[in-house]
Amino acid sequence: MKAAFQQMLFGLLCLALSNAQAVEKITIQLNFIPDIEAGRTTFGICARCHLPEAWGNDDGTYPQLAGQHVNVLMKQLLDIRNGTRHSSLMFPFVQQRTVGGYQELSNVVAYISTLPMNPAHSTGPWRKGSAKYRQGKKIYQRHCSGCHGDNGEGNNEMIYPKLQGQHFHYMSQQLGNIKNGVRKAHPAMQAVIQNLELEQLDIAANYASHFAVPKADLAESRIWRNPDFK
Amino acid sequence: MENKDKNKLSRRHFLKAGAVAGALSGTALPLQAVFAADAAAEGAATSESKATLPFSIRKLLKEATLPAAKGARVVIVGGGWSGLTMAKYLKIHNPAFDVVLLDKRPEFISFPASNLWLADQINLDFLTHSYIDAAKTHDYNFLNTTVLGFDRESKKVFTSNGYINYDYMVLAPGIEYDYSRIGVDDPEAQMRLYNNYPGGFVNSSEIITIKRKLHTFKGGTFILNVPNGRYRCTAAPYERACMAAAIFKKRRIKAKILLLDMNADIRIKKQGFEKAFSTLYSDYITYLPSSEIAEIDIDEKTISTDFDDYQFDDAIIYPPVRASSLLEDAGIANMKTTQKVANTDPYKYHVIGDEHVYVTGDSRSQPFSKGGHTAHSEAQYVAEVIAAHALGKEIRWRSPQTMCFSAVDIDPLKAMSIITFYKFNKLNKEFEFDRTHMMEDWNTEGGQASLAWAEGMYRDMFYK
Repeated sequence: MKAAFQQMLFGLLCLALSNAQAVEKITIQLNFIPDIEAGRTTFGICARCHLPEAWGNDDGTYPQLAGQHVNVLMKQLLDIRNGTRHSSLMFPFVQQRTVGGYQELSNVVAYISTLPMNPAHSTGPWRKGSAKYRQGKKIYQRHCSGCHGDNGEGNNEMIYPKLQGQHFHYMSQQLGNIKNGVRKAHPAMQAVIQNLELEQLDIAANYASHFAVPKADLAESRIWRNPDFK
Repeated sequence: MENKDKNKLSRRHFLKAGAVAGALSGTALPLQAVFAADAAAEGAATSESKATLPFSIRKLLKEATLPAAKGARVVIVGGGWSGLTMAKYLKIHNPAFDVVLLDKRPEFISFPASNLWLADQINLDFLTHSYIDAAKTHDYNFLNTTVLGFDRESKKVFTSNGYINYDYMVLAPGIEYDYSRIGVDDPEAQMRLYNNYPGGFVNSSEIITIKRKLHTFKGGTFILNVPNGRYRCTAAPYERACMAAAIFKKRRIKAKILLLDMNADIRIKKQGFEKAFSTLYSDYITYLPSSEIAEIDIDEKTISTDFDDYQFDDAIIYPPVRASSLLEDAGIANMKTTQKVANTDPYKYHVIGDEHVYVTGDSRSQPFSKGGHTAHSEAQYVAEVIAAHALGKEIRWRSPQTMCFSAVDIDPLKAMSIITFYKFNKLNKEFEFDRTHMMEDWNTEGGQASLAWAEGMYRDMFYK
């Protein structure tokens, strides 16, 4: 009897608690030691479209992934996986059934980070030193460099994407997508983009596309092919 | 009052009108002419000739029932990979467009990935999708109808539901078999050949028949062929030979596949297919290059090439292909070209002299590889071209992309892939391959990627 009463009291208490308190977000941090060799195998799935060098495409249909910060790559994979970043075509690729779990994602991201970057990525239409380039520099330094860095180096710890070596058309398209609401972004990024016109975004992207990539990060030539995938 | 008079008139002039209708129904007048005759009679004694025309023709003269166009109307003929992608991206690039997609099929069954279904690696649900879902998701209208003809002068497309006025029309009707290019000209022989040994690249009933054949084959010789020219899906006949062999191997039947290639060599992913033929299927597949089909004797079950005669127990005959004859109906096909393609602008895809009619997908005139991925990437670009045209603008040319997976082994699925782009060679005035990236090492990663690729494509065309 006493036990039953206690049980009832406990039940009421739980009810009261659940009614009174809003459900709080639970954050779980998980750590994985990436296995680069396994990542190479998994990258065999990605490379079908992104190609073994992960250098991206001039017309902006694929970004340069080589050289990107691991945390940035991981965030994109998870965002696409849960639908936060919309991509019909990539969605099935990043699901558990295709690519695997967090460990496999960590492996593949670590593998991509070992790839040398495209030494001839595509730059925007306005050459270095032109009026548009200088305007782009002003916009970039005022609105973008705070997070993405003076030379577009980004920040792995803070998950700020590296812009060095990224194709102009890719950046231009993504900025447009964020402005049009097709792609969601960090609120700070969202705010900056809403305050700028599409043309201003383009000339800022043009400026960023001209950043020099440190020589050590680049492949020896544009005809280099990833020997892991003959 | 006016109506009453009209009724009276039509009764009085019945006999006279009957004579006109007889003339119309007796001869194969082009639709445009029927429509023009009717339009010319408008005002005088229209309803009489209309009322006495055969029912089927009267229907053509009626406008198809559709919601009133809210913006410039784009009618897309053909709901394959090109048409479906076009409809979606037209709405993305210009939400004011009133997009109507037409197809004679009530539902969509994918040809890409269908070889995987033959070998039970996926089920039919994976390949089957609803035009209703596509239209609802992407905010356009789908009409299940058969296109009968066109009048580009008055910008009308005639369908079995009536005519539809268009501001822009995109023709993406795909391909037809051209049996005459393997020496079979007689319609009766063509039909017998089609019914007995369908090719499996035009109508979904063909692949259902092929699956039944492969799973009930009792053993003996099974012939598959690779056509010449720019046929649909370059790798598919080789992939299908692998899948057929895998099925026979799994069923433990004594069967020999003769792969008669009308080409001098394997057209694509040569190393990968050669390795598969020699390592996985050496007991099953005999590859015979340069096997130009000279004669097919259906009664004797014999295929003759210039070198030899081959006896078979069953077969899949894939004849060379040509552009859909709807291009002829539209009066834009150049009958001198092998594939009877239209004369279109190579960059902007419109019919020369008519920037309101476009030709895309496998019936295009450019020599791009025929297949789903090419059509999908191309349609995204052409949708942007049309949206820009409506605003009086032009956009930069983008190459279509050809991504192509080939399954080689099953349980677990193993596949290889290729990705390629095109560029225009200004010297030869022809398109050629730009960069081609082969991944011919077939493995399970390729198999997983091929399934994810197909799923991603269906997601893009049908869902969110």
